[in-house]
Amino acid sequence: MTETVTGVPLVLYLAVSGALFLLGLLGVMIRRNPLLMLLAVELLLNSANVALIGFSRYWNVTDGHIFALVVMVVAAAEVVIGLGLVVAVYKQRLELDVDQLSSLRG
Amino acid sequence: MGERIVFGVAAVSAVASAILVITLRSPFRATVALIGTLLSVAVLFVLMAAPFVAAIQVIVYAGAIVVLFLFVIAYLGERTVIEVADRLARYQAFAWLAVIALAIQGVVVLATTKLPGVRDDPRAVDDIGGPEAIGRAFIDRYIVPFEATSLVLLVAAVGAVLLAKRGVRGEGGR
Repeated sequence: MTETVTGVPLVLYLAVSGALFLLGLLGVMIRRNPLLMLLAVELLLNSANVALIGFSRYWNVTDGHIFALVVMVVAAAEVVIGLGLVVAVYKQRLELDVDQLSSLRG
Repeated sequence: MGERIVFGVAAVSAVASAILVITLRSPFRATVALIGTLLSVAVLFVLMAAPFVAAIQVIVYAGAIVVLFLFVIAYLGERTVIEVADRLARYQAFAWLAVIALAIQGVVVLATTKLPGVRDDPRAVDDIGGPEAIGRAFIDRYIVPFEATSLVLLVAAVGAVLLAKRGVRGEGGR
């Protein structure tokens, strides 16, 4: 029973992951600057990675690590495309505001 | 006990930096705050016996991705700071409502979960997070996702080039 003091249980990691996810979700919904929205999306992806690694340790398998690395690759691709869109919008002399970029809204 | 102290510091710093990321109005400062979150999450990865993922987190995330953000922010200059007055302030209430509802659900789930051992000390693990284990898993079982991610990177690179080319043409043609 003395070992229970040394480690951190999975539920605490899941709590941190959930807190980061909620903050990222809030950031995506209340920000209108696309750059700040991309930063909030990074928070979402990181919270998912924390949960993946936590469960990977819980089940004592490597699979969660693989998924976390794939998520990082997808995040890098998403940032490249997102920032490319931001620069393209900027070059069209448009406002950097996702509420005004509404020509696809239909 | 030391592990718990490190966990507490890293968790508090991660959440505090995340709050700064979504509240700061200047994209530059928000990006610097994001570095704090990323490094704290890397510390959490080390605590969870994932040294390789922690290293990749620092190199790729805190290195490459954040530098990309800062580069674009520096390139765009002052106009990125502009965030117009809250025309849609009334919709923010719905955002808060959704987040609070989700938070309550999460707390209830974590408090009532029946997963065995979720609150105990994690059991002793094999080497699941070292470079060798991850390399073997990628080559043995996950070769198809591995190749698929390389395809994703290729498509992203091609898409970025296309976006940049169209931007240049739009600037010169109009």
